[in-house]
Amino acid sequence: MRNPYEVLGIREGTDAEGIRRAYMELVKKYHPDQYQNNPLSDLAEEKLKEINEAYDYLMKKAEAQGGIRSSRQQEERGYRNNQEDAGRSYYDQARAYVNMGNVAAAEEILNNISFRGGEWYYLKGLIFMRRGWYNEAVTSLKTAVDMEPGNYEFRDALNRVVNTNRQYQSTVYNRRGYSTGPDLCSLCQCLICTDCCCECMGGDCISCC
Amino acid sequence: MFGYIMPDKPELKMKEYEMFRGYYCGLCKSMGRSFGTLSRFALNYDSVFLGLLLSSVHNEVPVLKKESCIANPVKKKWIVKGSPHIDYAADINVLLTYYKLKDNIRDEGGLLPRLAKLAFQRGYNNAASGNKHLDEIIAASITAQVLLEEQKCSSMDEAAEPFANMLSQLLAAGYRGDDQSVSRILGWIGYNLGKWIYLIDAFDDIEKDIKSGSYNPLLQQYKYDNQDVKAFKSGIEDEVRINLLQALSQTTGSIELLKLKNKGIIDNILYEGLYGKTEKVLSCITSEKRSCERDEKSVRSIGN
Repeated sequence: MRNPYEVLGIREGTDAEGIRRAYMELVKKYHPDQYQNNPLSDLAEEKLKEINEAYDYLMKKAEAQGGIRSSRQQEERGYRNNQEDAGRSYYDQARAYVNMGNVAAAEEILNNISFRGGEWYYLKGLIFMRRGWYNEAVTSLKTAVDMEPGNYEFRDALNRVVNTNRQYQSTVYNRRGYSTGPDLCSLCQCLICTDCCCECMGGDCISCC
Repeated sequence: MFGYIMPDKPELKMKEYEMFRGYYCGLCKSMGRSFGTLSRFALNYDSVFLGLLLSSVHNEVPVLKKESCIANPVKKKWIVKGSPHIDYAADINVLLTYYKLKDNIRDEGGLLPRLAKLAFQRGYNNAASGNKHLDEIIAASITAQVLLEEQKCSSMDEAAEPFANMLSQLLAAGYRGDDQSVSRILGWIGYNLGKWIYLIDAFDDIEKDIKSGSYNPLLQQYKYDNQDVKAFKSGIEDEVRINLLQALSQTTGSIELLKLKNKGIIDNILYEGLYGKTEKVLSCITSEKRSCERDEKSVRSIGN
């Protein structure tokens, strides 16, 4: 792993807030949305992964030290690893509670975790959804997606909110008898147009006409 | 309540329309019988939906009778008679109106709400004495709401909580069966409808609340700072829409889990009716209220 400070472009000893700010800037810069039609998207993704690792490393370190830098590397590493494992199992517990529908228990666990990365906001978002606090849920899920834009699970949760709304709307349209998709007539029209265009260019889409 | 939960009449079948009107008139008559003719002026559509939904959940076969009415003494109409669920909705309508009037006195003072409250006192006493627990649910919700308003709560979710919770409890309490999952489903429907009502009313009242300086969760959440009202409303429109539609899609998702009578009417209300209302209120972003038809009573104007 490269020097995480170098990756984030900050001086050694920058405080948690500074690390976060630098991180958010970089995430915005390398966001997959910016690289959608770019052949270099895989590189951007790699870059982002490196940034995420550096950020996770530094934030956990900052937390383990409680804001005070320690000179004893060995001790620090041991402590940090413990913290990391503990944090992991807390997330798993919270996730299990969310799945069981025990929102209060999940929330209590989350509130005790002071390191707040993408997963924290994701789980918080799920909890808000369960409680019916949709606005807070969307805000949390958006934060989670912004922090880890490559995470499909987070993105999926956010999309689900939009999709259920769309589902509801299209039910209304169908009930009213408005058709949301193209009808047969316009499908035929499209096909014929395509065929004409193809023939103009020397090809053929429908061979019999 | 607020009177936003209405059917989309042109999309109803004739028989559905007759049935809905039967419930509407049934509730009106039930209120008149139990709490005096005056209380009938407080009748609103949300309570009609409450009675209709509860009656449908219990698979009640409504007893229909043709009766005339003081509003239309010549033409007789079908009226749903003797339904315990309609009576339950009537109790709730009267209780909520009384608390609303009390709230008006606290907010605005003046003679009119005081007189109205006085006139409602007897109806309230009747309704409250038979429904101690409902009275407590509503009183607790109002207390929580007042507290949040005093703190100028800046989260629409938090601000909607007391009202949404109240409707959730009132709907679940109206279920007489012993199927735990039905009362859970009804509770979630109540929560989401309550949230929808609270938010749509907040959006609808933005201009009014700016003028009067009253609390409005959306003005707090999106930090209104004397900018152009039109720009402010169109700026928040999309985010508010996500919340409103989510509440509605959760409601309809839950309704589909219930076995219901009158499914046609209820679906008409929850799909066409509420979606239409949502878009109508959201698209009304001009600051001149006159160009937007306003056909529902506001929280603060009930009984006035």
